Amino acid sequence: MIDDDTLDRQLREAAPYIDDEGFTARVMAKLPVARREPRWLRAMVLLGVTVLGSGVAYLLSGGGRFVREGMVQLSNFPIWLLLVFAFGCGLVIGAFAVIFAIRKTPEVRDLVGLRF
Amino acid sequence: MELTDAGLIARVLADDDQHAFGELVRRHQSSVRGLLRQLTRTDIALADDLAQETFLRAYKNIRSFRGDARFSTWLYRIAYNCFREDARRRKELVGVDEERLQAEHDPRTVDPGLIHDLMHALSLLPLHERTAVVLCCQNGLSHDEAARVLDIPLGTVKTNVLRGREKLKRTLAAWGPN
Repeated sequence: MIDDDTLDRQLREAAPYIDDEGFTARVMAKLPVARREPRWLRAMVLLGVTVLGSGVAYLLSGGGRFVREGMVQLSNFPIWLLLVFAFGCGLVIGAFAVIFAIRKTPEVRDLVGLRF
Repeated sequence: MELTDAGLIARVLADDDQHAFGELVRRHQSSVRGLLRQLTRTDIALADDLAQETFLRAYKNIRSFRGDARFSTWLYRIAYNCFREDARRRKELVGVDEERLQAEHDPRTVDPGLIHDLMHALSLLPLHERTAVVLCCQNGLSHDEAARVLDIPLGTVKTNVLRGREKLKRTLAAWGPN
C-alpha cells in the first residue's frame, strides 16, 4: 500500500492547472460598478476643513500673536535643546508610522506575531 | 515587481481597483475552480458557475477579509459555502451513499492509468472526506486552515482526512497493476 506522502504527491499531480479561458473576464464583467468616490474629493474636503480650522484658530488667537511669541521664545532656546526637541518629535512620528505600517501589512504583522 | 495578494487587496480596498481584483481572480481561479470541480463531482459548468459566484462574493465582502488567514483559504471558505448553499437548493447535500456508488461502478473495469484511477477514487469518497482530502492533501492547507474553511472541529478534519486517505489507498491497491 502506498504511503501518505506518495498519495499526497499523486493527488497534487493529478490536479491540473485550469486555464483561465475567459473565466476572469466573465467575473470582471459581472462585478458591480466601481464606487467612484474620487480621491481628490476626499483630499479637497480634508484640505478645506484644515484651512477653515486654521483660519478660525488664527482669528481666535489674535492674528497668530501666540505663534510669533512662541517662535521668539524658541529662538531663545539653546541649540542643543532645539535639536533634542526635533529628534524627539521625529522619534514619536516615526513610531506612529511604523505601528500604522505594521497594522496595514498582514505579512509583517504575521511575521512579528503581533495582533492589533 | 509582482504585487503580493495583500498588496492587491490593499489596492482594492483603497481605490476599489477592479484591475487589482482581476489579478487576484487570475491567480486563484485554477485552485478555486479545481476545488469546486471536485466537490461537484466534475460537473464543470456548475463548478464554474459557483466559482464565479465565489469571486463575486469575495469582491463584495473583501472588507471583511482581515488578513488573519491566507487569501486563498478565505476564498476556499466562500467557495465551500457557495457549494453548500447550491447543494441545499438542489437538495443534494445528503450523505453520499458510498455502497451505492461502489455498486454502480466496479473499479476493476476502470482505465488503469493511475491519475485517472486516483481522481475517480477521489470522486467516490463521501463528500466530507473528499472535501477534507482535496483541501489538505491536494491544495496543501493545514488541518487547522481546513477546519476554518469547513467550519468544523479540527479533530473532525483530521479524521476525515485519515479515513479518506485510507479509502484511497485501499481502492488504489485494488486497482493497481497485477
